[in-house]
Amino acid sequence: MEYLYGVIIIVGLYVILATSFNLIIGYGGLISIAHPVFFALGAYASAVLSRDFGVPVPFAMLAGMVVAFVSSIALALPSLRVSGDYLLIASIGFQLGVLEVIKNLRFTGGPGGFTNIPPFLIRDLGRESYVLLVVVVMIAVILLVRWIARSDYGRAMSAMQDDELAYASVGRDAMWMKIVIFALGSGIAGLAGALYAHYFRFIAPEQFEILQSAAILTMVVVGGMRTTWGPIVGALLLEAVPQAITFLHLPPSVLGPIQGLLFTGLVLVFMFFRPQGLVPAVDVWRAPQARAGKAEEFRS
Amino acid sequence: MLDATIILQILWTSLATSSYYVLFAVAFALVLKVTRLFNFAQAAIMTIAFYTAFVAVQWLAWPAWAAFAAMMAVTLAASYLLERIGFEALRKRGVSVMFVFVFTFMVSEFVAYVAMLIFGTWPQTIFPTIFWPATLIGNIAISAWDLPAIATTIGSLAALFVFMRFTRVGQFMVGVADNPDLAELYGINKRQIFLAAMLIAGVFVALGMFLYGTRAQVLPQTALSLMLFAIAATIMGGIGNIAGAAITAVVLGIIQNVSILVISSEWQGFLLYVFLFLAIVFFPSGLRLPRRKVRFGTATREIAPEPVAPAAESKA
Repeated sequence: MEYLYGVIIIVGLYVILATSFNLIIGYGGLISIAHPVFFALGAYASAVLSRDFGVPVPFAMLAGMVVAFVSSIALALPSLRVSGDYLLIASIGFQLGVLEVIKNLRFTGGPGGFTNIPPFLIRDLGRESYVLLVVVVMIAVILLVRWIARSDYGRAMSAMQDDELAYASVGRDAMWMKIVIFALGSGIAGLAGALYAHYFRFIAPEQFEILQSAAILTMVVVGGMRTTWGPIVGALLLEAVPQAITFLHLPPSVLGPIQGLLFTGLVLVFMFFRPQGLVPAVDVWRAPQARAGKAEEFRS
Repeated sequence: MLDATIILQILWTSLATSSYYVLFAVAFALVLKVTRLFNFAQAAIMTIAFYTAFVAVQWLAWPAWAAFAAMMAVTLAASYLLERIGFEALRKRGVSVMFVFVFTFMVSEFVAYVAMLIFGTWPQTIFPTIFWPATLIGNIAISAWDLPAIATTIGSLAALFVFMRFTRVGQFMVGVADNPDLAELYGINKRQIFLAAMLIAGVFVALGMFLYGTRAQVLPQTALSLMLFAIAATIMGGIGNIAGAAITAVVLGIIQNVSILVISSEWQGFLLYVFLFLAIVFFPSGLRLPRRKVRFGTATREIAPEPVAPAAESKA
């Protein structure tokens, strides 16, 4: 039963991560691979505050979310000030740089990881209560992103993606909209990290490496960007595959690369043969001008 | 005790090791200049190049020259396939820049995982040892690797300069880089020029990885860090400015090595991300040289380097 609870929690957290990443890359059109690092920041902030500073776990979790939220603004503000294209480059550097810092700091446990993280709810109310908490947060995040996408703000996001120049010409600030989307999505990832830390009670930098970036990106691309159900389907599918591989009892040195190959390979296959994903939305990968039949964006 | 000999030794070693950084930066900058593409798949080409040489030397016991020839051939083949099967198909489909970014990044990660599966996650080198015999000149130790590495880099840069300046294909590359549509109106085959840029970048990558793999240990994910260094040098050098990228790579390489005097070794790797952050925040259009005054007869006017806009801005 404990294994099943663990799987439900992992799937729930990945649905949260994929849905929040869909807000950033799908609805916001922002290219970043640093989502796992905000997951890590939320996890580490909540774990350190609750274990070493005695902060009650619910407040530590909220603090983890705030740390991820603020850090994402620190990343997005300078990058987006120059160009949206620089966000991807900055996000790679930010992810690897933050993980390098975590590995070199003593209070984070270094490369060996951070242990003895205080549990939440489990001792008093049982594991079922934590499963329920994750499921409730997951549903809340899905509804929040769905509501944002269908609200006036969502229509504004769509307009910004279609033609940023026209959007700016009517007096709207595209850069701040991007920053808000990015910070909101990253803050949600931070909350997911905090939820992860207080259930599994051990976190290490290697859990948030590029493999996680590939995994979350795969969930969104394979599931279908700019849809409510796409990231959910992607997360369920992509979490089921590694669980199935686990039963093959392969050594960890082989298991990791095989998972990585599956994630990256699936993204490449879907990008070429079914770019709209399993749950299709509009042709999300085409350049806006090309959608309108005027010109291609990537042609030179 | 820090003295002039130690400083000179660090400077010399930095200069020698920056030889491969220059080659990677030039490869990245050339593709960006001609195709206007942030080619993250360069990391994949770098990984393929290194492991080809590794297999040829360590598994097949081929001599160094044969291993290098095989490495060059496979690298060029991989560059050809990436351009023809990957980028060309994407251009025809008119996909967004976001798609291309994700594609190139996924290609580099896919190749890294293939390398992990085949070669494991422990560090490898092309030759069994990376320790080269050294000669003392003055009090500076100069290894048998240093001078050939520096000569290779200087020779490659000179060849690229001659190629770009004096050959038709080189001039066509400059034309396509300036205005691809106009170049096409003048009868230049963009398709061939994009391929030429990818192949030349492949040559630089192969040379750079051969130098790197004979001097340092390589992991399947090493190429990504090396590429980030190249990106930082390209941005700071000014997008579209290949010489600027090469010079910046030397300067960053020296700073990273000299930093051992002031910071502990475990934080040295972190400097790369500082460079990248500084490049994006403070020098998105490259480092600008100070304006200098040039006299034309009695009139005086200021000459400044042409401001270079990032690729995305120029497209907008």
